[in-house]
Amino acid sequence: MDRAWLKRLNDSITPSNSDLAKIEYDGSSAFGNDALQRYRLGNGLEVLVLVDRSAPVATYFTWFRVGSRHERPGKTGLAHFFEHLMFNETEGLKAGEFDRRLEENGAESNAATWLDWTYYHESLPADRIDLAVELEAERIARLVLREPQVQSEREVVMNERRYRVDDDVEGAASELLYKTAFTVHPYHWPTIGWMEDIEKYTPEDCALFYRTYYAPNNATVVVVGDVDEEKLLAKIQSAYGAIPRSTIPEEDTQPEPPQLARRDVEIKKPTATQKVLVAFQGPALGDADHAPLTVLNEVLFGGRASRVYRSLIIESEIASEVRGWVSAFRDPGLYECYATAREAHTTTELEAAIDLELARARDTLVSDDELARAKARLELSLLQSLETMSGKAEQIGFNEIVLGDPAAGFRRLEAYRRITAGDLRRVARRYLVDRARTVIRVLPEDPGKEGTGDGATDEATS
Amino acid sequence: MTTERFTALGETTVLVEPTHAVPIVSIVVAVRSGSGHDPAGREGLARIATRMLRRGCDGMTSTQIEDALDRLGSEMAVDTGVSTVAIFAQVIGRNLDPFIDLFERMLSTSTFPQDELERLERETVAEIIEGRDNDRVVAQKAFQRTLFAGHAYGKSSGGTTTSVPTITRADVAAFHRAHFVRGNVVIGFAGDVTPERAAQLAERLVARIPAGPAQGDPVGEPHVAKGRRLLFVDKPERTQTQVLIGGIGTLPRDPDHTALGVANAVFGGTFTSRLMKAVRSERGWSYGAYARLSIDRHRQSFSMWTFPGAEDAAPCIALELTLLEEFLAKGITAEELEFIQQYLVRSHAFEIDTASKRLHQALDIELLGLPSDYYSSQVERTRAVTLDAANASIRERIAAADLLTVVVGTKSEIFDAVKAAIPGLASAETVPFDAE
Repeated sequence: MDRAWLKRLNDSITPSNSDLAKIEYDGSSAFGNDALQRYRLGNGLEVLVLVDRSAPVATYFTWFRVGSRHERPGKTGLAHFFEHLMFNETEGLKAGEFDRRLEENGAESNAATWLDWTYYHESLPADRIDLAVELEAERIARLVLREPQVQSEREVVMNERRYRVDDDVEGAASELLYKTAFTVHPYHWPTIGWMEDIEKYTPEDCALFYRTYYAPNNATVVVVGDVDEEKLLAKIQSAYGAIPRSTIPEEDTQPEPPQLARRDVEIKKPTATQKVLVAFQGPALGDADHAPLTVLNEVLFGGRASRVYRSLIIESEIASEVRGWVSAFRDPGLYECYATAREAHTTTELEAAIDLELARARDTLVSDDELARAKARLELSLLQSLETMSGKAEQIGFNEIVLGDPAAGFRRLEAYRRITAGDLRRVARRYLVDRARTVIRVLPEDPGKEGTGDGATDEATS
Repeated sequence: MTTERFTALGETTVLVEPTHAVPIVSIVVAVRSGSGHDPAGREGLARIATRMLRRGCDGMTSTQIEDALDRLGSEMAVDTGVSTVAIFAQVIGRNLDPFIDLFERMLSTSTFPQDELERLERETVAEIIEGRDNDRVVAQKAFQRTLFAGHAYGKSSGGTTTSVPTITRADVAAFHRAHFVRGNVVIGFAGDVTPERAAQLAERLVARIPAGPAQGDPVGEPHVAKGRRLLFVDKPERTQTQVLIGGIGTLPRDPDHTALGVANAVFGGTFTSRLMKAVRSERGWSYGAYARLSIDRHRQSFSMWTFPGAEDAAPCIALELTLLEEFLAKGITAEELEFIQQYLVRSHAFEIDTASKRLHQALDIELLGLPSDYYSSQVERTRAVTLDAANASIRERIAAADLLTVVVGTKSEIFDAVKAAIPGLASAETVPFDAE
């Protein structure tokens, strides 16, 4: 594709910001059957563009290389807190104006924060894409962080925490799992933050975090849709071209040491049935073991024909729900197994039944048919994630931020095809070991106990 | 873009939305009958009967069916409503043919094994019990059950822990026989398939399904109780509450249906709506605050949904009622109308940006009996709404005097405050969260 327009754009920039605004073309790469174009501004902003004319809409994602792992104790949840502050006030937009301008243009917007990253996105009618560029450039550089903004969002986030964690049995169990399994690595604390930290955020905390991490050289913009590349890049250049780089601090993260003994925690919750989370130290997303462990998880937990589903739900009928998940993090995470007992059954039974299947995975090879079924399910899952423009943009951005390869999903699919039954047994033997195990048991409250507010907090025992 | 629509074997409606962007195909097989047909005491039958289709068919056990579905890279799920039951499936494009063979076998030769039925009933009961962990689900069920008491909308499509175990193999077979007939089945395709191929596949799918007409609708118009009522669902240790406030809503064929939808969007349909602004943006009381108009074949509900912290529940309810009364008394402004029309017209692109969404719209029209231009004329109808029409629709359809408030929270902590927050309360009832 002729990119003579790029020279025109660069020739037209004013001297005052020429270094920051200059656009470099970083080449094209395959994304399935499509071509993904990569650009970089002089201020470090990465721009990935996938032209998709299947509908007259476009999606604009801004990924920041900052997540809860970049926080420090006492200030947990700040990365997620920005997911709220960023929709509030900027120097050029009064409170509420950001959402209002998007809505009057028929746009949808949202954001997400996790351990390794934060993203913001807008989906717009394609002829309104300039608005997303203007608004995102505005809030990356000119956010207002004073006490009223912090106070108003703090209340909302405290309510969000109650909704997602404090009053949610699974949310509470999951938080406790990471708190227990990670002792020195920042995956120890929850993305939403501890309540006592949320209560104490100051505008100064927020300003420091913002200055440090919200900078063009810490961001990747992903655009998918019915867009004109030249016009889009011209707009991005004009909107972001004067924003300076920031000095992003080197991360000072301690790796989680190998776990040497199993850890057990029990909590009581107002629930009718017992639940158990059994987790093991697992590989990072970029580790060669991640793909085979994912396939093994599919054999164990993927759908109603999977081994654990069959054993616990169909045959012994001790569980009502089972799930497994290999965490998809930049650093080594967990392999999680979750099961909910039916009434009158216990976490002890659940764990024993899961253990039988884990032992089988370590001791014997899965059948060719099981392997083929797991791979087919994973292929369907990848294809499903590409059905919408925002799905594609999310795939591209996530893989770029975590793995440095926007098309890693397709490479992952190729890796699945090469995986053998022996690979599954090898990762089962390596990761599903008792010393690296953390178990969270959720037990129903004692019958008759009433929620009086005094002494009704979780009871945790190690 | 218009959905291809034709008839297979002279009776079955087939809808197709082709796109070749991703090599997967979505297939929907739905019937024009739902839990509205469940006999008293057998609530959950339509759902159980449809779920039983994957629990055994001619020459295949449940296990063999599951293995085959996975081998083909496919998924299947059942969605049950009062008016319809639908099986939603997706498959990797290259396996479409063998998948259709399997699906056809499941639809036409189900054996409904007794042991599988008993197992499914035990699974379903366990799922219902598990659902009590989710306060939002608890609130929604309590709201529907109480607002529409005595009507099909007040019964649980999934059944109850007492009704599900009473469903017999004969009930399941009878439901299948009566409702899985060609004239009552609607088939949809979206994705990597041409209309021509879809037509052939649809014929294969229904070839062995017996001929038969579309089933009548056994459900009448609902009547809801007058006055302001409170149902408090008591659950221990709630630091947060789930609050639903509402009453009777709209019918798609109402002359003021679009006008009411537009007005409701101003009140609680967007992130900058009156409700969201007052509850979340200005006070931080709830992570979300929405007003919704549900639609079905008959008049469904209008509801406001918030989930404030326990200490904010009473003032939040009082605020919502005040906002609603103001909305009813004064209506929306010309400026608000212009803003929301822009939003609804421009965001319409996202209602139809994927083949699956377009198929679902076509299915809604077919299964819920919506006017044939319900979606295609939505933009024009929205543009045509006047301020007078919007404000008249609010006064006509929503009654501030007849509102049900459902709260999931801890009674010992907030019940009295919640009661005091509702002016003119006619009745207040408390039920435990694990009541059905």
